[in-house]
Amino acid sequence: MTGTLSAKPVPPIWCPGCGDFSVLAAVKKAASNLKIAPHDLVLVGGIGCSGSIHNFLEVNGIHALHGRLLAQAVGVKLANPALTVVAAGGDGDGYAIGMGHFIHAFKKNASILYLVMNNETYGLTKGQASPTSQLGFEGNVEPPFHSILTALSIPAPNFIARTFSGDPKSMIAILEEALRFNREGRGFAFVEDLSPCVTYNDTYKVWREKIIDVTTLTGYDPTDRKAMFRICLEQVEAGRLPVGVMHRPKELAQDGLEVKLLGDRPGPVRTDIRVEPNLAAYQKLLAGMA
Amino acid sequence: MTVPAARIGPVPSESGPATGGPARELADVSVMIGGQGGDGTLTVTDLLARYFRKRGLYVYASRNVLSRIRGGHADASVRGSRDPISAVKHQVDVIVAFDAQAIEIGQHELAPHGFVLYDSTTFRSDLPNSAGFPFATLVGGPLGQPIFKNTAAYGALSVLFGFDPAMTKAVIEERFRRRSPEALEKNLKALEIGRKAALEAPGVPNRFAVVSGDAHDAILTTGNQAVALGFVVGGGRFFAGYPITPATEVMEYLQRYLPAFNGVVRQAEDELAAINMIIGASYAGARVMTSTSGPGLSLMTEGIGHAATAEIPIVVADCQRVGPSTGQPTRHEQSDLSHLANLGHGEYPRFILAPADPHDAFEVTIESLNLAERWRLPVILLLDQALSQNTTTSARFDLSKAHVDRGKRLNPEAAAALAQYKVYEFTSDGVSPFAPPGTPGLWSEITGNEHDEWGHVSVNPTNRIKMMDKRMEKMVRARDELPASRFFGPADAKIGLIGFGSTSGPILEAQAVLAARGIPTRYLQARTLYPVPTHEIGPFLDRVDRAYVVENNYTGQFARLLRETMPERHAKIRSVRRYDGYTFRAVDIVAGMESAV
Repeated sequence: MTGTLSAKPVPPIWCPGCGDFSVLAAVKKAASNLKIAPHDLVLVGGIGCSGSIHNFLEVNGIHALHGRLLAQAVGVKLANPALTVVAAGGDGDGYAIGMGHFIHAFKKNASILYLVMNNETYGLTKGQASPTSQLGFEGNVEPPFHSILTALSIPAPNFIARTFSGDPKSMIAILEEALRFNREGRGFAFVEDLSPCVTYNDTYKVWREKIIDVTTLTGYDPTDRKAMFRICLEQVEAGRLPVGVMHRPKELAQDGLEVKLLGDRPGPVRTDIRVEPNLAAYQKLLAGMA
Repeated sequence: MTVPAARIGPVPSESGPATGGPARELADVSVMIGGQGGDGTLTVTDLLARYFRKRGLYVYASRNVLSRIRGGHADASVRGSRDPISAVKHQVDVIVAFDAQAIEIGQHELAPHGFVLYDSTTFRSDLPNSAGFPFATLVGGPLGQPIFKNTAAYGALSVLFGFDPAMTKAVIEERFRRRSPEALEKNLKALEIGRKAALEAPGVPNRFAVVSGDAHDAILTTGNQAVALGFVVGGGRFFAGYPITPATEVMEYLQRYLPAFNGVVRQAEDELAAINMIIGASYAGARVMTSTSGPGLSLMTEGIGHAATAEIPIVVADCQRVGPSTGQPTRHEQSDLSHLANLGHGEYPRFILAPADPHDAFEVTIESLNLAERWRLPVILLLDQALSQNTTTSARFDLSKAHVDRGKRLNPEAAAALAQYKVYEFTSDGVSPFAPPGTPGLWSEITGNEHDEWGHVSVNPTNRIKMMDKRMEKMVRARDELPASRFFGPADAKIGLIGFGSTSGPILEAQAVLAARGIPTRYLQARTLYPVPTHEIGPFLDRVDRAYVVENNYTGQFARLLRETMPERHAKIRSVRRYDGYTFRAVDIVAGMESAV
């Protein structure tokens, strides 16, 4: 290649067969299909196996603190809305230590994509129970947390979907829709990928049997939050794993937080902050003091 | 700013003689106003401050409110002086009491000539020099609500002090004009009710006369407002915070100022989110800041260490209050310094800068933004409750010195000319050139993991040493760029004073008190606290016989830091401390020096 030589991707640290490989490939494919230039894409990684994904791609990568990736991703987007921002991490990162930021991300509705690779365990620290672990896993006595049901309970115009690493084709289509949703300034997109940990919680076989594509179910309507909550809850209670697009707003509006705050204005990064061009406005601001 | 010795002798009065004898002329007047939360004590404080300001006096208004919206006793004080001041006066000339507690608290500090005006609606006082008016009842009838009692009290005060009636009224117009025509009208009526009652009371009209001053060019402001303005002028365009006393006003001012400059202000869900939002925004290329106080600082500590290691520039304004835990949210202390100097797990560079007054805060805020970006690390802007929230006259903020230095930030042209872009490149000053995401043709890896020059995670021991040295040596290399200490008093004085933050105000006044007693002192106001400016404080200590470090905390944190960094000068350092939630007055410092070990 010509031009400046930037950081080259390093080989993934993941175990062979890890579900996260599908996600890496799907992110790459979706970004390429949408023709997003590497310099315009920011990948904010969480802490955990999945959070290292930004090291394996030619993009701007920022490795956040454990659980804080969403706050950093929102900061990036509000500072420069022209960037495409993807936050990616695991279920421990997002649903345990990052839970406060997780809930608020739906409410904030900044146009970023949050991609959670859910393997129902803490893989990097060798297999402890996570917020999504089933009862009995590593002595777990707490019922598993369900991100899609939580997401559907927050009345905000978000894009909500769930994918499975065993079905990369559907994942690419969903990630593309999520990224388009973001890039059109419509708001927050949340995609949970069911991504088995082959070392500490190898669930490929079990999950494949339990996966149910919600789009095939009677009454499926992703613009109807109530119907989708009922459908998902029924499937969860029946022991199945619903996947597919769970919510998209009926009216596609530019509801993204960055649009609400800045409209067409360029935002903090693309504003001239030198004193000279702002001097008259500063003088006016200071003259207003008693 | 210097404080001349107290002037002695007659001073021109602004009004004619009092009805019951000559008015006592005051060139330095202190009024304490107290009542239940919601009684409007802060309104009276504000009205008085505005009046003094119109008379060209220097003003210092401090509040002493409890952390609740309504209820509970709250008091405040306003001081107006012909000479520059930036501290609470040692005596109170007049108490305005809306509850009995105000008198209980205030009478110990009441001057022998002092006087008490109180609202006799709910209690009576048997103090000799006092006058009770049923303000709540007087306004309640004609105006329908007792809440206008505070403006009536201001009216009575204006008579007690022989204020100019037109100017007294102008203050009300200035304050309530923006509310609603109805609010203005009712307050003007309340003013007249208060004035009339006081004019008819024996011994009240023109009991005092307040002199005029020449501080007409000054503005009335707070440290928090100065920080917000400094942030805007310094090119700050992204702020995230979480409400916390006494830091919240920084966010509130910025909510007003920033949108007009394409800026963004967000109230986050907690301090963890606030610090990480500014980290994200700074990485994206914006100039950023957050403001907080002790409990929030504890939560932000995680993010500050991350910013230092990932080399992301951030500014954190810490408006100190009484700690630890929830402590005393509305009270003054300077007890975060030790924590900040040793902030976080692991080791990383940080600058701690401490302005002394609003004018200084405006300048240091601008400088903190430049330094954070120039050196790519966290800068702590250290304030304290008194500096943050007390209202004081200040010289107008100076735009002529304001500048934006983005350090080694790469523009797209410079970035395109690079052969390779290493975001953590080793350089002679330890600072790597940075191009924000979105710069055409290049990208980077940023991480809080130890990393190599490319930003790739590294456990290589040689690289670890080089990266640690790169980051840590910034504190040595930046020394001459950090805000310099300021010196006051004769250079050959053998007694030294050292302080920082709002403590500077009472220290300057203590210098004047001591000078009047024939004791010259030299004061070093530290504006950079960390890394400790040993190149300034060392020689300062060498020239004096002993130096008193004056600070609001229990353990003498700055004194300890100086002893630790300059052990050879240990014996010269004395410690003067106060940790009851109040600021020093000049008299406290003088007394503290007499008993200091």
